[in-house]
Amino acid sequence: MLTAAGDDEPDPIVGPELPTEATPPRVLTIISHVMEKLVARNEWLAKQIKGFGKSLEAFYGVRAPSISIAKYLERIYKYTKCSPACFVVGYVYIDRLAHKYPGSLVVSLNVHRLLVTCVMIASKMLDDVHYNNEFYARVGGVSNADLNKMELELLFLLDFRVTVSYRAFESYCFHLEKEMLKNGDVSSLKNNQPMQESLSLASTLSSLYV
Amino acid sequence: MAAAAFGQLNLEEPTPVWGSRSVDCFEKLEQIGEGTYGQVYMAKEIKTGEIVALKKIRMDNEREGFPITAIREIKILKKLHHENVIQLREIVTSPGRDRDDQGRPDNNKYKGGIYMVFEYMDHDLTGLADRPGLRFTVPQIKCYMKQLLTGLHYCHVNQVLHRDIKGSNLLIDNEGNLKLADFGLARSYSNDHTGNLTNRVITLWYRPPELLLGATKYGPAIDMWSVGCIFAELLHAKPILPGKNEHEQLNKIFELCGSPDENIWPGVSKMPWYNNFKPARPLKRRVREFFRHFDRHALELLEKMLVLDPSQRISAKDALDAEYFWTDPLPCDPKSLPTYESSHEFQTKKKRQQQRQNEEAAKRQKLQHPQQQHSRLPPLQHSGQSHAAPHWPAGPNHPTNNAPPQVPAGPSHHFYGKPRGPPGPNRYPPSGNQSGGYNQSRGGYSSGSYPQQGRGAPYVAGPRGPSGGAYGVGPPNYTQGGQYGGSGGSGRGQNPMGSSRNQQYGWQQ
Repeated sequence: MLTAAGDDEPDPIVGPELPTEATPPRVLTIISHVMEKLVARNEWLAKQIKGFGKSLEAFYGVRAPSISIAKYLERIYKYTKCSPACFVVGYVYIDRLAHKYPGSLVVSLNVHRLLVTCVMIASKMLDDVHYNNEFYARVGGVSNADLNKMELELLFLLDFRVTVSYRAFESYCFHLEKEMLKNGDVSSLKNNQPMQESLSLASTLSSLYV
Repeated sequence: MAAAAFGQLNLEEPTPVWGSRSVDCFEKLEQIGEGTYGQVYMAKEIKTGEIVALKKIRMDNEREGFPITAIREIKILKKLHHENVIQLREIVTSPGRDRDDQGRPDNNKYKGGIYMVFEYMDHDLTGLADRPGLRFTVPQIKCYMKQLLTGLHYCHVNQVLHRDIKGSNLLIDNEGNLKLADFGLARSYSNDHTGNLTNRVITLWYRPPELLLGATKYGPAIDMWSVGCIFAELLHAKPILPGKNEHEQLNKIFELCGSPDENIWPGVSKMPWYNNFKPARPLKRRVREFFRHFDRHALELLEKMLVLDPSQRISAKDALDAEYFWTDPLPCDPKSLPTYESSHEFQTKKKRQQQRQNEEAAKRQKLQHPQQQHSRLPPLQHSGQSHAAPHWPAGPNHPTNNAPPQVPAGPSHHFYGKPRGPPGPNRYPPSGNQSGGYNQSRGGYSSGSYPQQGRGAPYVAGPRGPSGGAYGVGPPNYTQGGQYGGSGGSGRGQNPMGSSRNQQYGWQQ
């Protein structure tokens, strides 16, 4: 159950190394911010139209997990050690879904499961060494069987469009940066990260990109 | 489907949304392949009667989820559309036992499995070449080579590296068309070769020196080395570089192509494994000497393919412009090629087993009753029983890039102990030209031309296990290299020359 995945110290997760204390990459902060905003908007929207749409049914949990999106992404990053670019690519998948199935909303009941599934597929596609579904399931607080189901569901929903061209990747990075700045959110600048650096997200991450 | 106006029939067939149809739309005719990772069936689409190949994607391994190999193959094949590249028609699902009564697309709709639907192909190049008694003519070899290069050029223009070019992955139908198949190891690449890619790809015998020396940045030239090996194999009637392990493979390459040094291959001494593998003494390049029986143009082209330095190796596009394809005898029209009885390894293996048993029984009988020799069954090379079809990979599951190289898995994956050396005539023209000397000098007509090693390449380290297989059943092989990169721009790299030759490539107008 997702709700079981606490946001402080995790349940026994067997990882090859202990997680490091390093601050999570900025991309996590940005994406969780953007996702939180999206969820908030959609929750409101869902109330107006009284429904979430059907396409994302496979990702619904019984209730919304207590862990915040930010903490959830940090947790995924910390334990799976996937490359930061996976979060951008995972975000691209969610964005593609949103465009392809405009009637189906990303809301608090499905956002966590969507994220873990998207990041896992992105990592499978992107990282030379990556954890298997079983591990992602444990990190994500879902059952292995559920995660497998969601993986397939997502692949078919995306029509197997899981490639993100370098150009698309780059423009998503810029888009994410802009979202962050547009909102006058200064958290990206909190860690003494100058604007210039913040705009270089694409170039920082792109080195991971072939 | 769009609604038809009243009184009219809407005969327009919408392309089915992938994954929306059930495998029940097909009637399985017979299994044509079997591997550790899945089965391949010949099947008939019930509605249209069309024959297709269904490749089941196995998902027994719950821990791994959907095989990454399959994801890659699907996404790459989705963007490639060319007459010399196998066509993935759609993906169908099997609801399995958990289907609810209405067949509702619930969460369990994939429970029973996922199938990739391919156009059906009758043969693969290795199987065809190994058909006893079968000899390819020169125009036929040219025809296959040209199609291979055309298909590969298309992949490269679309920034896809195949990474497992070998005879058993080149499918041939009864109309003489050749198509590249098994894109399970394929990946996109970017032009600047900045990627950090795994070098554990390509079946050992067809693996280029740069990968064997540990390169992790590479490009389309890797596929061209494999093409060179296949080309020579077609002309030479047996695999030319049958190494048993990576070290031996490199030695064989150096014995044929000379030892690399900074002059002929700038940068080679900086390759990761150069110092481990460099030959003890300098070796001379002997391609011309080894293959002196080939005709001049064939040899000239081969020389340009089997170049150690990948940056100097000929590209698919330039190879298509080689004199070889434009001098007599010209490549024949695929349609003019003879058709061969279709058979697939899965079936023929059974037949062969039966035949072997009969033969052994006959031998025993012969020992007891020597006079009954005449009762022996025809030898194995009896026509029609030999075709080898795709063989299915059985590689290690989910290796990582760091996995240690594996010991090649035995000499042959292809024939499962099928005796070599048919007494019949050689399969290939005695040489690339009319001289014919070579095979005879090897006793070709009398003792057969098969190498001891057998044909299926040894498998090789790495991601890919014994693989092959036309429809490439397998997820096993996937390497985990990153996927991203240019997503394709077809049309890029168009041949700028307007010569009539270009039109031969067909796809790039």
